[in-house]
Amino acid sequence: MEKRNSKIKYFESIPAVPKREMILSRLGYRKDITVLGSKELSQLEEAIELGASLCKPSGAYMFVPIASLGGCETVLDNGIFFRSQSLSKLLEDSRCVVLMASTVGREVTERIFHDVNEGDASKGLIIDSVASQTADAALDWMMHFLGKMLVREGKKLTKHRYSPGFGDLPLVYQKDIFNALQLERLDIALTEKFMLVPEKSVIAIAGVEEKGS
Amino acid sequence: MNKAQFSEMISKKVMILDGATGTLLQKRGMPAGVSPEKWVIDNPSVIIQIQREYIDAGSDIIFSCTFGGNRSKLGDYGLEGQTFEMNRRLAALSREAAGQRALVAGDIGSTGRFVKPFGDMPFEECVNIYKEQVRGLLEGGVDLFAIETMLDIQETRAALLAIKESCDLPICVSMTFDEAQRTLTGADPITALITLQSLGADAFGCNCSTGPAQMVEIIRMLKPYARVPLLAKPNAGMPRLVNGETVFDMGAAEFGSYTESFVEAGANLIGGCCGTSPEYISELRRHSYGLKPLDVEYKAYSAVTSSRKTVFFGEDNPLVLVGERINPTGKKLLQAQLKEGSTHELRRLALEQTDKGAQILDVNVGMPGVDEKELMVKAIELLGGVSDAPLSLDSSSPEVLEAALRIYPGRALINSISSERIKLEKLLPAAAKYGAMFVLLPLSDGGVPQTAAERQQIVKSVFEAAAEYGYKKNDIVVDGLVMTVSSSQEAAAETLKLIEWCSREFGCATIVGLSNVSFGLPERGWINAAFLAMAVGRGLTMAIANPSDELLISIKMACDVLTTKDVGSRAYISYFNSLEKPSTDQAQTIHNGKAMSTGERIYDAVMKGDKEGIPLLIEDAIGEGMIYGDIVDKFLIPAINEVGKLFDEKKYFLPQLIQSAEAMKKGFDCVEPLLAKEKADEASGADPKAGADTEEEASITKRRGKDVIVLATVKGDIHDIGKNIVGLMLKNYGFEVHDLGKDVSAERIVEEARLSDAAIIGLSALMTTTMVEMRNVIELAKEEGLHCSFMVGGAVVNEDYAREICADGYAKDAYEAVKLAKRLVDGVKKA
Repeated sequence: MEKRNSKIKYFESIPAVPKREMILSRLGYRKDITVLGSKELSQLEEAIELGASLCKPSGAYMFVPIASLGGCETVLDNGIFFRSQSLSKLLEDSRCVVLMASTVGREVTERIFHDVNEGDASKGLIIDSVASQTADAALDWMMHFLGKMLVREGKKLTKHRYSPGFGDLPLVYQKDIFNALQLERLDIALTEKFMLVPEKSVIAIAGVEEKGS
Repeated sequence: MNKAQFSEMISKKVMILDGATGTLLQKRGMPAGVSPEKWVIDNPSVIIQIQREYIDAGSDIIFSCTFGGNRSKLGDYGLEGQTFEMNRRLAALSREAAGQRALVAGDIGSTGRFVKPFGDMPFEECVNIYKEQVRGLLEGGVDLFAIETMLDIQETRAALLAIKESCDLPICVSMTFDEAQRTLTGADPITALITLQSLGADAFGCNCSTGPAQMVEIIRMLKPYARVPLLAKPNAGMPRLVNGETVFDMGAAEFGSYTESFVEAGANLIGGCCGTSPEYISELRRHSYGLKPLDVEYKAYSAVTSSRKTVFFGEDNPLVLVGERINPTGKKLLQAQLKEGSTHELRRLALEQTDKGAQILDVNVGMPGVDEKELMVKAIELLGGVSDAPLSLDSSSPEVLEAALRIYPGRALINSISSERIKLEKLLPAAAKYGAMFVLLPLSDGGVPQTAAERQQIVKSVFEAAAEYGYKKNDIVVDGLVMTVSSSQEAAAETLKLIEWCSREFGCATIVGLSNVSFGLPERGWINAAFLAMAVGRGLTMAIANPSDELLISIKMACDVLTTKDVGSRAYISYFNSLEKPSTDQAQTIHNGKAMSTGERIYDAVMKGDKEGIPLLIEDAIGEGMIYGDIVDKFLIPAINEVGKLFDEKKYFLPQLIQSAEAMKKGFDCVEPLLAKEKADEASGADPKAGADTEEEASITKRRGKDVIVLATVKGDIHDIGKNIVGLMLKNYGFEVHDLGKDVSAERIVEEARLSDAAIIGLSALMTTTMVEMRNVIELAKEEGLHCSFMVGGAVVNEDYAREICADGYAKDAYEAVKLAKRLVDGVKKA
């Protein structure tokens, strides 16, 4: 009795902690240069805390074997096909990929829109930065989690991950990964132009390598 | 075998377990990619042979070949419908192999799915999956159970409860810890031990993941907290894949040489995991001859856990703060959100309290008009993802607390159990089943006793009832029952007497709900703080309080030093060193220590982004007779120009720039109608440049005529925060902005520009797939004969792209966009 294809796994609550320095850096803060008064500092802290409380990081992943890899083409066992030189390079030592996605949910996006348009744009901007960093931190957490699982099998994840829309991997591939991971279950939708809604959502691909190789 | 027999057996000798099964099955013909359970059923002689080899090598206990025998794992092979029968058959095969020479443990592993709140599998579904497997194993004749290689506390709890609710056989639980000594989902070994031994595990330990050297250290770490025997089943070193095959580097002789270290560290049951074979077990047996395991003793400590953290209290531990704020009483926002199903305020209160130093969070969601049980379960699931602080589950309803205890992924503190009949009859057994600690509230069906002596009697009687369920004094926390001194001034003294009696004579931890003491009095903080210090002096171990109360936190830190519980005053020093030191405020330097004039205060308000304060300052300036134009040209505009300069120098970051721009706009909105009226009153022909010091400032002054800018995120793109911020800044700098939103067609943008006679069309796009739409907008506008300028921006756009599509400029951020817009408009006007 052969094993069926890899199942999709969902995390409904990811303990993602965004890096504070990345939140600030995204806002233009420069250490030892930018000067904050005590009132501004407390407003900043308050907005970061509010942003963190509005984010509900969740995610999904699945392992899929690579059927073939050559030149700039990667074909997965489930029929997904990528044409990207950079992705092929990333996966050159992998026999399997992990498709993954994370989101911080709709509530925080709605709050950002409200604050920016209803008179507290500064706060909205800080929350926006928190939300972006939290979505990334959720993927970082998933990579770390999967890495811990794989080490037990003598395997590891590639050091980097790749997202459609970056480099030579067109955004259109978001559709295939979206469908494979059935991201509607995380209340994520895809637009006609292959963008994720809510916008603080990320899709990524990483390779699974053998440690001994 | 019953639990007493198991304990007896463990106390006499080091029990040797078996080693790896999967790798031996592969060596003896099992192909890759098949269900091991199904293959073994089809080839029964192989497993019988392997298990007999283990028994011959010295195994006292062998594990049935059912590690992946649950419905979820078997479902990977389409075998879920055969779960019961397969487990029964596999247990029977091990029974046949063992005969009377060894015990058979029913082996239970992970489902491969993640349980709520972490994953998407409901807790009860997980329990039922395991119950089905347990039924099969029991039918097959196992002597005990071994839950092994577990990665997550909550899934392990489900397996443990499934067995507890099916039989009384002994249960060994073993989790996998990585080299950082954490489970996959973040639990440290001590937290896992305390949670699972409280829930009823008869032995606890670790297997897989690491070799013996690292695992000895985990056993050594666990021993001081272990009230049950400890188990170790290490790999033969760390795995490596070589040519597609998993390889372990440690040989049997070296593996066996760790036996003495394991026993000396506290292990009672030792075996092998991946990479081991009967040869390795034989070495373990050989080294174990003559070794006596350490005694399994009751360790006296008080501790509660979350899924990732333990909080110890009492004895030599510092005072523990329990955050009181997750309680809807008196909190309208929390009440409203809980009723409508929103959880934002709940999350915020949890984060705020732990950030301020609460080590445990009290959770009370009871109020009229809600399903408290459903809300409590939801709150627990939510808080597990937000914070790693253990929870104090606070409700007056036994049903609510029992539901909460079932899904709480740690060892909870129940708040509270009194001597009221319903609590003793319904809540106490549930608390014991789930191994929770509880707050003992010394009141009875007859009400609240006034004196410490009466309360002591209730404490004794409730504890006696609890002891029948196995409770020790370390498992309870007596509530001092704080009553308000404004109605009875002697009340505080009675509470202090009870705390002292519990600490010095009876020997248990104590807790107080601090703020009750001062109810009805003015300046309550002083009473609360003084009472806290007095109670700590009598031995108080926990306080339910608001951790945002800095006075209370400071008193706690000081008390911990004076009671020598903060060794070396390290926490005290660290806490007070970490308190914010306000940095030098750039804007404050402008007055050089002198009192500021109203104009300078307006300038300062823009610099600081004080949009609330600026209208009053403008009013003051007007009251003082300041010329309207001077307010704008001498203070508002120079201030915002200075802000722009500081932003360019990175001394201000984006939120400051926006706040200042908003403050300036607010100030300008106050003056603008007056300027308009002044203009109307005066004869025309006044020089709009009067009072402006520079060309740039003059251009802003002139802009009071409102140049129109049409802004949009182009068709297909849904990202608009950057465009919104640009729009806001442009408005604040005096432009009339027509923001069309996101995903806007070229036709709609061009139409709006034509209708409004726009000076500029501003376009935003975040993705390479949508930035191409910018060119379509510009081409259409030119085709339609519009003479406006075009500015573009967005993450993937740059100067080159702007030139390529014939835009008039590119702006990398909101302030650049303002400067570009000014240049474009002024350029057109000059031309």
